[in-house]
Amino acid sequence: MARNPLKDQIAVVGVGSTPYARDSQRTALSLGLEAALKAIEDAGIHRQEIDGICGSGMDPLAMGGAGFLSLQGALGIDKTTWCKNGWLGSSFVFAAEAVFSGLCDIALVVQVSMREVLMSRSAASDPFRLRAAQKKMGSGLFTENDFARRWIHSGEPYAGWMGRYMHDFGVNKDAFGLMAVNNRSHALRNPNALLRTPMTLDDYHASRMIWSPMQMLDMDVPVDCAEAFIITTTERSRDLKQKSVYVDSMSLGGSRVGEFYENTLGWTDNAFWVCLEGLWARSALTVEDVDLFYPYDGYTIDAIATTEAAGFCKPGEAGELFKSSWDTRNSILRLNGGRTLVTTHGGGLSQGRAGGANFYTEAVRQLRGFEGDRQIGGAKNALVCIGSFFHDPSAVMLRTD
Amino acid sequence: MTSEALSDEAVFAAFPGVLIDRDNIAHYRGIIAGKLLINRCSGCGYWVYPHRPLCPQCLSWDVQATEVSGRGKVFMFTLIQQQRDPNNRLREPIIAAAVELVEQNGLRYLARIVNCLPDEVRPDMPVQLTWIAHEGQVSMPAFEPMPAWEG
Repeated sequence: MARNPLKDQIAVVGVGSTPYARDSQRTALSLGLEAALKAIEDAGIHRQEIDGICGSGMDPLAMGGAGFLSLQGALGIDKTTWCKNGWLGSSFVFAAEAVFSGLCDIALVVQVSMREVLMSRSAASDPFRLRAAQKKMGSGLFTENDFARRWIHSGEPYAGWMGRYMHDFGVNKDAFGLMAVNNRSHALRNPNALLRTPMTLDDYHASRMIWSPMQMLDMDVPVDCAEAFIITTTERSRDLKQKSVYVDSMSLGGSRVGEFYENTLGWTDNAFWVCLEGLWARSALTVEDVDLFYPYDGYTIDAIATTEAAGFCKPGEAGELFKSSWDTRNSILRLNGGRTLVTTHGGGLSQGRAGGANFYTEAVRQLRGFEGDRQIGGAKNALVCIGSFFHDPSAVMLRTD
Repeated sequence: MTSEALSDEAVFAAFPGVLIDRDNIAHYRGIIAGKLLINRCSGCGYWVYPHRPLCPQCLSWDVQATEVSGRGKVFMFTLIQQQRDPNNRLREPIIAAAVELVEQNGLRYLARIVNCLPDEVRPDMPVQLTWIAHEGQVSMPAFEPMPAWEG
């Protein structure tokens, strides 16, 4: 066992989400502010009580977006003692560690995702998005013609691993397809999901080939959206209006791959395995205790890797597990002998690409238990795993009493 | 704005180097029209600058680009003696200033100070809006000493 002094010491007390739209006709900052205000209202706090902010982005001094340098002033928050930008799953972990360490007492996390010009033709025809892309610093990093450097933060090596996985384990694409269908089926019941037409495994296989063997329906759908959440101490959470959702344990995961995705490592050496190993070394819970499972699905291969890394099955066996766990009436996955539902909001694949922040807000809402006809009954433990197959994924076990 | 407001594309084309977005485009459209516009909250009247869509005072989203009087005081300034290239010194230094507009405490707009010798600019010096013509380009807002200013 590893040390886990933060067990149940930190709570999520507020969540907020904007509408998900293909073209919101708004800036990233505007969306981030809306999500932030909704999270603040949801928590029932005054904004001046916030003393820590995690904004959106990889760049600590990110400009033209929803970084902390813009958010604090735009929200009229006078003083903070902790601030940082982050993206994907680690932003949640950063805020939780800041609260636990005492650098702040109430942290606001804002994560904005925009439909960028490289993601779709219609996005590329929007002059505002073009202007934002042209002015973005560091865009020269991605060199179309220099193949030696092409797979730095690229999507293509995910497709490469998909093919290698199928080769090594002698499997077809059913695991990937069933995950995509599961997420779409849940999105049908989520009024804030972008893709709400039913989808079958045949639809998945018939979708356009993008980077063989990866197809259109293996990829999350680009949207304009923002998510926010408020994290504080368990002690403080007792005075607040919402039912508290506690952090049982959490871990990040680093491997030797870093940002060059040529990837010297094997399937089970990659970052999700390091991350989940770190989580189970800290938690007294096991995979059988997971009531709700939220594996990130930027590409379906992320969710497959996470399912295996979490220990729901052995490496290479996700396809068999999903077929034996398939609820044919509802076209959804039921793991752990039928009890455990997966990605109950539709994920990035069908609700929309939020960099995984929507997995956290959905987990919190389901654990609180007031989601009406979308509510999953009796859930106590939710495992959220967000991030890249190649770098800095997070694993966070959220729980409620 | 008037009914013949310029298209977004025309505004982009007029400012090739500027990150124009939906929160600040009205400001740049105003510059083309020779007006200095700052976002203002329609609810409580607070001026919102830098250009953002939410009022940080009352949290209203009803923020409208509104013309300012163009009067203010130099809050702080610097004399730009050279651009990035040290071998290419400027013949005359450029005065770059944060001008605190009379509309609101702390409402500081960044612009050049012109029609003023570099060694005559002072903190709290009253200034008024003027425009600098650039050949083939949009005239840009700047500030100059108030006529009554005697130093």
